[in-house]
Amino acid sequence: MTIKNHAKTCLIISGGILLLAILLSIVGLGVNLGLDFTGGLSMQYALGADASQSDVEAVLNGMNVGEYTVTVQGANHDEVNIRLAAIDQDGVQAVQEGFEAGIVEKYPDAVSIGDVNYVGPVAGATLLKNAFMSVLLASVLMLIYIAFRFDFNSGLAAVLGLIHDVLMMLAFMVILRSFVQMNSSFIAAMLTIVGYSINNTIVIFDRIRENARKMSGNLPREEVVNRSIKECLGRTINTTLTTLITIVALYVLGVASIKEFALPIIIGIVSGVYSANMINGYVWAFLEERKRKNGGKLLKAKKA
Amino acid sequence: MKSNRKGRVNAKTKAVIALCILCVLTVVCGVLGVTGMPLDSRGLYKLLPWLPTTNADAWPSTLPLGLDLRGGVYVEYSAARPENSEASFDSLIEGTITVIQNRLTDRGYAESTVQRIGGDGIRVEIPDVTDPNAILDLIGTPAKLEFRDPTGEAFMDGSMVQLAGVALQEGEYVIQFQLNDEGAAIFAEKTAEFLGRNIAIYLDDAVLVDATVQSVISQGSGIINGMGSLERAQTVAAQIQSGALPLVLTQQKVDTVSATLGDDALSSSVLAAIIGILLIMVVMIVRYRLNGIVASWALVIYIILLFFLIAVIPGIQLTLPGLAGIVLGIGMAVDANVIIYERFNEEVRSGRPLKASVRAGFKNAMSAILDANVTTLIASIVLMYFGTGSIQGFAKTLLLGVITSMFTAIIVTRFLMKQIVALNNWDVKLFTSGVQTRKEEQ
Repeated sequence: MTIKNHAKTCLIISGGILLLAILLSIVGLGVNLGLDFTGGLSMQYALGADASQSDVEAVLNGMNVGEYTVTVQGANHDEVNIRLAAIDQDGVQAVQEGFEAGIVEKYPDAVSIGDVNYVGPVAGATLLKNAFMSVLLASVLMLIYIAFRFDFNSGLAAVLGLIHDVLMMLAFMVILRSFVQMNSSFIAAMLTIVGYSINNTIVIFDRIRENARKMSGNLPREEVVNRSIKECLGRTINTTLTTLITIVALYVLGVASIKEFALPIIIGIVSGVYSANMINGYVWAFLEERKRKNGGKLLKAKKA
Repeated sequence: MKSNRKGRVNAKTKAVIALCILCVLTVVCGVLGVTGMPLDSRGLYKLLPWLPTTNADAWPSTLPLGLDLRGGVYVEYSAARPENSEASFDSLIEGTITVIQNRLTDRGYAESTVQRIGGDGIRVEIPDVTDPNAILDLIGTPAKLEFRDPTGEAFMDGSMVQLAGVALQEGEYVIQFQLNDEGAAIFAEKTAEFLGRNIAIYLDDAVLVDATVQSVISQGSGIINGMGSLERAQTVAAQIQSGALPLVLTQQKVDTVSATLGDDALSSSVLAAIIGILLIMVVMIVRYRLNGIVASWALVIYIILLFFLIAVIPGIQLTLPGLAGIVLGIGMAVDANVIIYERFNEEVRSGRPLKASVRAGFKNAMSAILDANVTTLIASIVLMYFGTGSIQGFAKTLLLGVITSMFTAIIVTRFLMKQIVALNNWDVKLFTSGVQTRKEEQ
């Protein structure tokens, strides 16, 4: 089996996926943001009888609550999910009590079921800020660590790979918007991938470091990378397999909020293997060759 | 030659004994983890079980569950900074937290937690709630402030207090208060009646201040001394004045979770973990043969150890993302084994004897394992710092998982491999495929 440098093609593919996601976002089909980010109130009721959307809407209109969406669900068509964009100062319980008072007039058996979630307008913005800051901080810390343990170019190449993986996760959240909502657990998924998918890169870079020492210094860096990736392939396949087995089991068996967490992780793991084997090493080789050329020039200049 | 063979036999016996002991230990710990054990005949002292099963009803009490799995109410408030208040914002927040905590404890929600988050946020978590709305009302409504005479009889309530603030008198911080006309009349009568005895101010039936009447207060304005620190005086003054929470709170986030949802999540996650573990064992044994058995064994020890640590380390709550973190961690835990075995196989294929291959395999794998785990540690620490609620639970289990897996993958695996290699003059084909031994080459 021969390993070749396909980094350019791979970057074009990733770029294409990213472009598609950006285009979808522009035409209004962006990430399907959940309550955690948008803010608002969501509650579920079992009405005890066949639910009519207009009945529920009539109650909400009478309460003067602003924007809302009502979804009828349940196997017997007797449950409703209500989402309000914002609630007034009186708080969650006032809205709930008001709604319950109104709905029992038409559906005497109506009861609240499941979760009631409310997220204020500030909380969503804070979450977004924290998400951005945490990925930034983690990336900077890893750049420092890898630059310290390997060299600066390795750190740069690895962190660029991380950014690639996070962007791919975001892109697929756009593309798969009808399957998955983005909530606060996405931040945990993102950070997990930042911490985990870099493992693949590190194992390969560790081999590159070892091989670069053993192999002739005149050899193109790309050759060193090719050989290192090949030597690590067994490990890469097995580890990816074992991790994917557990997370896919979780996705298949898990409840909705677990699926919301497992799917972005699956995307991130696949993207991480892809970038570690197809892109990151070659970015390092490119940076090293450029450094070498520049170094050569500098040396000449000194002599002259 | 003779002593050599004897040494070998000794090493072999040692290995057999070591492996047997570890095997018995693993099985015993695994069984105890599920069943628990009474430590004396009367059953007063018990070793509680700590390993979860797919039966969510029999969830071990030693593994504390977060709100999202247990059911309950989670509220985040933001507090508005009062304009021109004497008291520092920090002490007002602390006062507010104390009042909320007292109210919840009084109503029997002893397990609820009230914490400050960020600069002006307060997080309230109340597990096992049947009526979330009643709880939200309880936190938000003004408290009952009462003045009581020495017999415990209430004679005045908070509505008669016009103003309460802090003043400095003779080098001591005191609370200065002003009552309305009605209050002033009552207070004049009562202070005359109970001169030299104690009048107490109660907030929600808990003593806020208990002070001796030193003079008759007829004009409706007086002072309370003996407050100690400025902080305490400010908080108490704010509480007397508002008769409620020292600060105005706005709900930022409210989650009420029903416990049934948590049960489903628990049993499905445990089932996913068990299926995941079994599949991983199959993959490892097919791919790495004898070493795969070692990895499976180490994985079992990892699970027993990880849940034991979660059970004994205080402050770790299992949340839904936390469970996912554990399941994910299982997949990651074998990564170190895979790195070691690939290195080991390379050494074996290059014709080294098994014993030397174990040593070299570990040596070559160590830097990659260390670097890979440190980066995951960095991510989980960042997550712990920025995350709130259930995300923090995830970060903690991930952190613990990484540390535990380093231990089992490096120490336990090395120990097991050494013993197994010492056990027999194994055919290398039992460890790896595609081996060309030197003999065959020749």
